Amino acid sequence: MNSKTLLYILKRIGLAILTVWIVITITFFVMHAIPGGPFMSEKAITPAAQAALEAKYGLDKPLHQQYFTYLRDALRFDFGPSLKQRGRMVVDIIADGMKTSVKLGLIAAGIAGVVGIVLGAVAALRRNKLVDKVIMVITTAFVSMPSFIMGSLLLVLFTVSLTLLPANGTTWKGLILPIITLSLYPMAYITRLTRSSMLDVLGQDYIRTAKAKGVSSMNIIFGHALKNSLIPVITYFGPMLAYIVTGSLVVEQIFAVPGIGRSFITSITNRDYPMVMGTTIVLAVLIVVMNLISDILYKVVDPRINLE
Amino acid sequence: MKKVLVLLLALTMILLPLTACGKKDDGALSVCLASEPDTLDPALNSAVDGATLICHLFSGLAKWEQDSTGKLVIVPDAAKELVAGVVNADGTVTYTYTLRDGLKWSDGKDVTAADFVFAWNRAASAALGADYGYMFEVVDGYDKVAETDDDGNAVNPDAKLNVEAVDAKTLKVTLSNSIAYWDELLAFPTYFPVREDVVSNEKWATKPKTYICNGPYTITQWKHNSVITLTKNSEYVDADKITMEKIKFYLSDDANNMVANFKNGTWLLIDDVPTNEIASLKADYPSEFVVAGQIGTYYVCWNINENILPAGNTLTGVEAENARTEIRNAISLLFDRNYIVEEIGQAGQVPASSFVAMGMTNPDGTEFYKTAGHNDGFDGYYNVAKDAYTANYNSAIETLKKYYTYDATTQKFTNFPTMTYLYNTSEGHKAIGEYLAQQLATIGITMNLQNQEWNTFLQTRKNGEYSIARNGWLADYNDPICFLDMWTSGSGNNDVQFGKGAHKDTTGYSLNLTALGYDINVTNGTWAQTYDVLIATIKSCTDNAKRYQLMHIAEDMLMATGCICPLYYYTDLYMISQSVHGFFSNPLGYKYFMYCTIQ
Repeated sequence: MNSKTLLYILKRIGLAILTVWIVITITFFVMHAIPGGPFMSEKAITPAAQAALEAKYGLDKPLHQQYFTYLRDALRFDFGPSLKQRGRMVVDIIADGMKTSVKLGLIAAGIAGVVGIVLGAVAALRRNKLVDKVIMVITTAFVSMPSFIMGSLLLVLFTVSLTLLPANGTTWKGLILPIITLSLYPMAYITRLTRSSMLDVLGQDYIRTAKAKGVSSMNIIFGHALKNSLIPVITYFGPMLAYIVTGSLVVEQIFAVPGIGRSFITSITNRDYPMVMGTTIVLAVLIVVMNLISDILYKVVDPRINLE
Repeated sequence: MKKVLVLLLALTMILLPLTACGKKDDGALSVCLASEPDTLDPALNSAVDGATLICHLFSGLAKWEQDSTGKLVIVPDAAKELVAGVVNADGTVTYTYTLRDGLKWSDGKDVTAADFVFAWNRAASAALGADYGYMFEVVDGYDKVAETDDDGNAVNPDAKLNVEAVDAKTLKVTLSNSIAYWDELLAFPTYFPVREDVVSNEKWATKPKTYICNGPYTITQWKHNSVITLTKNSEYVDADKITMEKIKFYLSDDANNMVANFKNGTWLLIDDVPTNEIASLKADYPSEFVVAGQIGTYYVCWNINENILPAGNTLTGVEAENARTEIRNAISLLFDRNYIVEEIGQAGQVPASSFVAMGMTNPDGTEFYKTAGHNDGFDGYYNVAKDAYTANYNSAIETLKKYYTYDATTQKFTNFPTMTYLYNTSEGHKAIGEYLAQQLATIGITMNLQNQEWNTFLQTRKNGEYSIARNGWLADYNDPICFLDMWTSGSGNNDVQFGKGAHKDTTGYSLNLTALGYDINVTNGTWAQTYDVLIATIKSCTDNAKRYQLMHIAEDMLMATGCICPLYYYTDLYMISQSVHGFFSNPLGYKYFMYCTIQ
């Protein structure tokens, strides 16, 4: 690694920290600006109770003071207690949800990546043959079908009609359907990306040269074509991974999976300020880091890319 | 093609061994009520699903039970008996309870009267900030506990309720005055005991290990957002009467997922079903589909300060308010409540003709709403019979003609100001809003719909920044006062804004209680001088018969304003497998599984 690359990476890390800080700041102030509050409920609590709770959680302090206190605590990874789930710390709730979401997300992303690349490569190599057409039809369907429809279909088919799998994600068997649902869209997308990118690469001069020089077709495909056609896949894969491991509300709802996605949404409707901040920060950091990693990976895959 | 077949075959072979999914969870009863409860601390909980869990985990002085005839009754639990109160010279009432022998916490320590004293003071304290802290307002001393200065800070942070542990087994509590629903309060989770050393750990109610309780069950497993497993508590004094060894509460709030789990036999009770599937589920599962009564009213509320008189109207003060009252009451008659429950709600709801919900009873056990409104031929304040609708509609049109210009050719009013209907985002509320708007549109009244996300909606409605809004109220105990005291000027739930803003100085309300022996006779008073006084009188009334008369007067006053337009009484929908026996639920929607068997 030369010094230019190192400088670039350092610059990117600095930029990443700045991004996260901006996200924190915007979220913090927007969150406090929306009407309602964490102690709002259908049956109003007494003014004394309201005042006591606000004092307990520091919500009675001026907003800028709350902001700086939050920043200071967040730097020490202290995200505070949840205002709604009394007695639980935000870190614990996020860790609990992330355990499931990360497991689910990594497996789904893995399946999507491997199956997507293989199918994409096969489709490209068998261009316009029956296999290619079948793959294209199926992937088009998966890309255009929203996950709540796919999830509901799988739920009805496998858990009610065939009763092959449980309908709730509390056991590992119950995670099979959510994993499939989560992986179908990225898998189809990666298939299509790989196919078009591979077709592009296969038409390049250096592939023709390799063929002319008598390099074996296996070597051409795996050594030259596939490797070089993965760049768009990598671009997509990083943010996709971040997105998928931070939990999908839809899939979690449909299959009753105890992931982080649902906590994120309910924390907003509950005005559970520390939970909103905590989940936002985790999400932001993940996306920023994944983007950074995919940028660096470009260089590894294709040395022609100049990272400056 | 062959390859595809081989692939499919291989996939099936991989999946098959996975498919022997557990139908019966090792003899446990698996149910699903809702998603992860916000808290299982008896003092902090304010949710129905949380209350169900807490009733299985804690034992208060009293509990709900089903007697041999299937009737729901309140029976002693930790108390030897539910004693009658002794009226003191100052009108307060003292109850002295003796605890049963052999009461233990799940860690083996004795349950003492002091645990109750501590728990009650904790739950009532402003410092804890419990939603249901006000449930102790009937106990002497609560006024001091809840007293705040102008900034909302507690004036007497060290104040305590008038409750004491005479000895380890004797608990003495004094109420400000006699109340009919005291025994029922004792069965309410907020009144359950907790132990000081246990709850001193703020995280106590989040893990099985630290969750020390005294009821029929203990938590043996808690996978957050996934499942809570309760196992019979061998330390519980009545453990031999508990027939269900293990209950698994699965945590999900997705109605479609619940139905899938119910259909494949994994969950034996589910507490929610998708609205659009109600009709087909009712047909396919006639014995499993249950519509139970629930004490609550779905209604529309007006902002009393919203001017709905036509532009250029010269009425002011009391005359203007009287006109608005008549208009609001007329508009209430334009809605076909039978259509709403049959075509939109579809969940067995009952058309409402009063604000105090069906299920609330008079002291003699008759329905409160059936003796409300003083009308011949129908119950409550409107005739909600199907065949009465046309007459209601026509009378409403005639009333409105007094105030607005009516175009006889188009059969529409031409100068009714445009209104906005506020509701919280939900398909069900939207459908009802659309129906109301459409009904008004047919007579030329434009009502736009505005939906807000739940928390924002609550704030907007509370602040009175609306003209007309969706509303609903569920009872906490079987006493009509919980529907009536929310409308006093200072109440935090007074969404109508009675006695606030311009309405603060609006006179025109009268209250004459001399016939009932009170020295109260106000004519042309403000809301605070009449309704607030009436509620205070009810709260201090010790004569039960008189008290119910006063509560009817309060509802009459409330309904006369036209600000509350009840649409239907809530029901509790759930599905229960026919293999489950011994299950019951109470009018507050709490479900009891401890005496269940699965056959």
